Amino acid sequence: MGKKISPEAQQKAAEELASFMSDVDGVSAKLDSRSSGTQVRHTVSATCTPDSWRGLAQMLASEHHVDHCSMITGIHWPEAADKTWEVVYHLMRTGVRDPASIEGVVQPNITDAESLTGSEIPMEIQISISLPDTREPAVASVQDLWVGADWNEKETWDLVGIDFEGHEGMRRVLNPHETPVGYHPLQKQHKLRYHGFEEMYDDAQGFMRKPADAGKIK
Amino acid sequence: MAEMWISMGPQHPMTHGLWTLKVKVDGETVVDTEPDLGYIHRGVEKICEARDFTQITTYCDRLCYASANTWSHSYIYAAEDLLGVEVPERAEYIRLIAVELQRIASHLMWLGAYGPDIGNLSIMVWCLREREMMMDLLQELGGSRMHYNFPRIGGVKRDLPHGFSQRAQAKLKLFLNRIQEYEALFDESTVFLVRSQGVGYAKPEEMINHGVTGPNVRAAGVDYDVRWAHPYSVYSELDWQPSVERSSIKGADCYDRYRVRVEEMRMSASMVLQALDKMPGGSETYHEPGDPKILAKAPSRAPEGTYGSHHFEDSRGESMFYIAGGGEGRGKMPYRVSIRSPMFITIPYAAKCMIGYKVADIPAIMGSFDPCIGETDR
Repeated sequence: MGKKISPEAQQKAAEELASFMSDVDGVSAKLDSRSSGTQVRHTVSATCTPDSWRGLAQMLASEHHVDHCSMITGIHWPEAADKTWEVVYHLMRTGVRDPASIEGVVQPNITDAESLTGSEIPMEIQISISLPDTREPAVASVQDLWVGADWNEKETWDLVGIDFEGHEGMRRVLNPHETPVGYHPLQKQHKLRYHGFEEMYDDAQGFMRKPADAGKIK
Repeated sequence: MAEMWISMGPQHPMTHGLWTLKVKVDGETVVDTEPDLGYIHRGVEKICEARDFTQITTYCDRLCYASANTWSHSYIYAAEDLLGVEVPERAEYIRLIAVELQRIASHLMWLGAYGPDIGNLSIMVWCLREREMMMDLLQELGGSRMHYNFPRIGGVKRDLPHGFSQRAQAKLKLFLNRIQEYEALFDESTVFLVRSQGVGYAKPEEMINHGVTGPNVRAAGVDYDVRWAHPYSVYSELDWQPSVERSSIKGADCYDRYRVRVEEMRMSASMVLQALDKMPGGSETYHEPGDPKILAKAPSRAPEGTYGSHHFEDSRGESMFYIAGGGEGRGKMPYRVSIRSPMFITIPYAAKCMIGYKVADIPAIMGSFDPCIGETDR
């Protein structure tokens, strides 16, 4: 019926890519089948050591047509046993090519989703890098491979405090520019507590009225 | 002539929200730009760490005030992936209807705001007139005008109300006629064509490398769309093709980005009409809220070490949520919620796109990318 990548083809492509990625030292990749509503998505999920990350990224960009850095997430795990910091990359293979032109007239790329094979198949790749307990966590920047990583890396440093070695022009993007050095609000020592409405306001209803069930157990 | 930096914003008609674009000009020519964001950073990601999974939906609605439903659905899919919930098929159809109606409303808001940017005020009034029809339909589903809080983990809040199907069909058919009015107004307006054609060229491979997705890429003649590349919902049951423009050899200009959104509104309207026809159980049947046909049971806790993620075709590009489970209350709350905002990545690219053009082209180029600061700053 409608246009759709077949799950079998996506699964096969994910397995192939995972086996290529696992060949790199320090990388362990596997097929990861995620659910989305009524459908199944086949993706690649990998863990990587900080030292092999840069080489893995270069290999993905140059040999496996991974052309899109979707998101970079930094996580602070102060109480976890095996890691204190984690960086999760979400990369995509989109298969977008500049459309060809015939005599100066552009011919739009209309993909036949059923006939895509191998590295043409769109793929999601999740790479998780655990960092040890350090005051200055850092991983290698991939700003030069995917320009889309530029602002993602800025945001991760700004909010979580994980630095990216080789990143040019690091600065605050969401916090104010004059935010104190070392203040990164998504680190877990900055606590946030949920306030029920009754403790946020003296008079939850406004207008000095009392709710009908005041004093009763809710 | 000496070059100088000028600051456009945070209060400026070009910005469509609160942010600053610093522009280095040489006479009338833009030679460098630097966007400065964060004016309405609310810390949604941090707030989510102290909310349970059902409470987060309302915050996601508020990420983008022009496209609330797409954002809450984007979150819900990621949360369902995390909690391992299978959604009833009827609920998926209802969600698709809600999301596609929202996409039309969002594109109408964009078109209505883009017209005044480049000197056409009537289009704003016309677009808001049709947007009102979409908002009425969405209000029937969600109960409020802007922030619907409509999807639930495992389904939707309510079934389609009685008579929704006829009203939706009548309004969408009227809307499909009225799109021609916009085209007549814009495509034959010399002022619009002169200001939108031939400025802000962007090529697809470069855009993808810069992280730009969605309609902005499809305007340049590629049909990449998350809805078929990473299938979710029931789009594969409908007869549709992503809207693609035939751009110029230099890439997509502002005019192509306008065209692709108009075509996308047509496609979304057609999807809603098809979904109403094909819905299992029929669009006239009504189930009470909480009925297993529209809402599956979902666990409320996610243990430590689990994660969920989902890519979603938002009105402005690919949005994404990544949720790590195992937060406070033995997993009742998420440990970390990370949000990919398409516009956060697109605005720096749009700013780069302006280099070499005139200062007067800045509103035309910036507006054509459809910036939304609510989601950008989170």
